[in-house]
Amino acid sequence: MNFTGLSLDQAPPISIPLRFFLVAPLFAIIAAVLLFVSGVENFSRFAPEVIAATHLITIGFFGFVMLGALTQMLPVIANATIKKVDKVAGASHLFIILGVLDMVYGFLEQNQTALIVAYGFLGSGFLLMVLSILNSISAITNFTPTIKAMINSLSFAFIVVLLGVFLLYEYANNSVSSVHISIANIHAALAIFGFAGILILGVVFQVLPMFYVASSFGKFFENKLVYIIGFGLLLWSITNLFFPHFVLLAKLYIALSFTVVGVGIWKKFDTRRRKVKDITVFYYRSGVIFLISGLLLWVLNDFTKYDFLLGSAVLTGSFILSIMQAMLYKIIPFLVWFHLNAKGYMSIPTMNEMIDKRLSNTQYILFVGAVVLFVCSFYVAILFYVSLLFFILSMIILEYNIIIPVTIYKKTIQTKPDFDMSAFKS
Amino acid sequence: MSSIKEYLTNDHRRCDEVFANMEAKAGEDLSAAKELAQEFVADMERHFQMEERVMFLEFETKTGMTQGPTEIMRQEHTQMRNLMAQLLEAIENNDKDKFFGLSETLMILLQQHNMKEEQMLYTMAQQHLSPDADRIIAMMDSLIVE
Repeated sequence: MNFTGLSLDQAPPISIPLRFFLVAPLFAIIAAVLLFVSGVENFSRFAPEVIAATHLITIGFFGFVMLGALTQMLPVIANATIKKVDKVAGASHLFIILGVLDMVYGFLEQNQTALIVAYGFLGSGFLLMVLSILNSISAITNFTPTIKAMINSLSFAFIVVLLGVFLLYEYANNSVSSVHISIANIHAALAIFGFAGILILGVVFQVLPMFYVASSFGKFFENKLVYIIGFGLLLWSITNLFFPHFVLLAKLYIALSFTVVGVGIWKKFDTRRRKVKDITVFYYRSGVIFLISGLLLWVLNDFTKYDFLLGSAVLTGSFILSIMQAMLYKIIPFLVWFHLNAKGYMSIPTMNEMIDKRLSNTQYILFVGAVVLFVCSFYVAILFYVSLLFFILSMIILEYNIIIPVTIYKKTIQTKPDFDMSAFKS
Repeated sequence: MSSIKEYLTNDHRRCDEVFANMEAKAGEDLSAAKELAQEFVADMERHFQMEERVMFLEFETKTGMTQGPTEIMRQEHTQMRNLMAQLLEAIENNDKDKFFGLSETLMILLQQHNMKEEQMLYTMAQQHLSPDADRIIAMMDSLIVE
C-alpha cells in the first residue's frame, strides 16, 4: 500500500479541480441561450439545437464537474493519484472544451468537418482522463465500495465515449444506420444512469453519512446496488439492440433501482443526526423529487399517448444538476480553505463566509423555479422562455459563487495577510 | 482480539455524535452549547493523543515510516486544534455566524481526515500491528490526556 494520497503535496494543485468547476456553469448558460434563441417550436429530441444544448449540459456541466471532483477525491477516497495530473488534466480540459464547442458549431451549422474534428477532440479528451484515472486506481489494493462504484462508473464512461464517437461519426458522414436510434438510447441511458448515476451513488453513500452524521447506507446499498444498476443497464443495451419488445422491462428495472437510490438519500436526510439546514440539504431533497418524477414520466411514456420523454430527461438531468451543485457548494469553499490553511494562512474566511448565503438561496430558488417552469412549459409554451431566463440567472449566480472563493484564494496568496509586518514598523 | 481499526473508527463515530449534539444545541442557544463544545474538544484531543502518543509511535517504530502518513495526519490534527480553539472563542463572543462557519469547515476537514485514516492508515496499521493490538488498545484506553 502506498501513501502518496496522504500528502497535500501529492494531492492535485487546487487549480486542477477548479479549472473544471469554473467552466461548468458557463456551458449551462450557453445551452440555455441556445435553446432560447432556437425557440420553443424547435424543441424536439432530434432537433440539432436540442442535441447541442443537451451535450453542453451533459459534457460541459456534468462531465466537467465529475472530472474535477474525481481529480480531487481520488487521493482522499481511493488513495490514488493520477500520474502527471497537471498535464493530463490540462490537455483533457482543453480538448473537451474545444470538442464541445466544435460539436455545437457542427450541429448548428450541419458542418461535417467540424463534427469530425469534434469527435477527435472529445474522444481523446475523455479517454485520456478516464484511462488515466482507471490506471491510477489499478494500483489500489484496498477496494472500498466507493472505489468499486468509481470503477463501474468510469467503465460506463468509457463505453459512453465510444458510442458517442460512433454516433457523431455516423452523423458527420450522413450515414445514419438503422441501429442509430438504439445506440443513441443506449448512449443516453449509460451516460445518465451509468456514468453519472453510479458515480453519484458511490460518492453519496460514502460522504452523506460522514458529513451529515447519519448511519451507513448498509450492505445492500454499498455492495449490491451498483451491480444491480449495472445489470439493468446491460439489460437496457441488449433489449434496445436485439429485443425491442422487452425494452420496457429493462426500463422498469432501471427506474425501480434508481427509485431505491432516491428513497435511500431522502431517508438518510430524515434520520441524520446533524440537523443543520443549509442549501446543500435543499438541493439533495429537490434532487430526489426531480429524480423520482423523472423516472415516473419515463415509465409513463410507454403507457400514455403523451410524449413525456423530454420532460423525463429534463427532470432526471435536474437530479444530477442538483446533487452536483450541492457538492460544489461544499467542495469549492473547502478546497480554498484547506489549501490556504495548509500553506500557513490563518486569517482566512470560514467556508460559510466565502459564499453569501442569500445569493446561494436565490440561486437555488431560481434553479428549482426553472425546472418546474420548464416542465409546465410543455402545456404553456411561453413558460419555456421564462424557465430559461430563470436557469440562465441561476447559472450566472452559481458561476459568481464559484468565482468568489477562487478570488479569495488568489488575493490571499498575493497579499499574504499573515505575513503583515507593519506592526513592527517604527 | 480487538481491532485497532474498529476501536479508533468507533471513536471517530462517537466524536461525530458529540459534534452533532453540540451543533443542535448551538442552533437553539449558542451559549448553552459551551459545555458540549468543551466535551467535543476534550474528546477530540483524547483521540488525537491516542493516535499521536500511542498508535502512530507504534506504527512508526514497526514500519520505520516517520515522515509519511502519520506526519500528514499530525499536521491535520494541528489544523483541527486551531479550528476548535476558534470555535470555543466564537461561543465566548456569542458569534453564531462565526460558530457555524467554523463548525462547517471543521466538519469537512474532520471527515476527509477520518476517511484517509479509516480507509488507509488504520488498514495499514491493522496489517502491521495486529499481533500487538490488545496491548496497543489497552494503552490507548488508559491514556491520560496531557
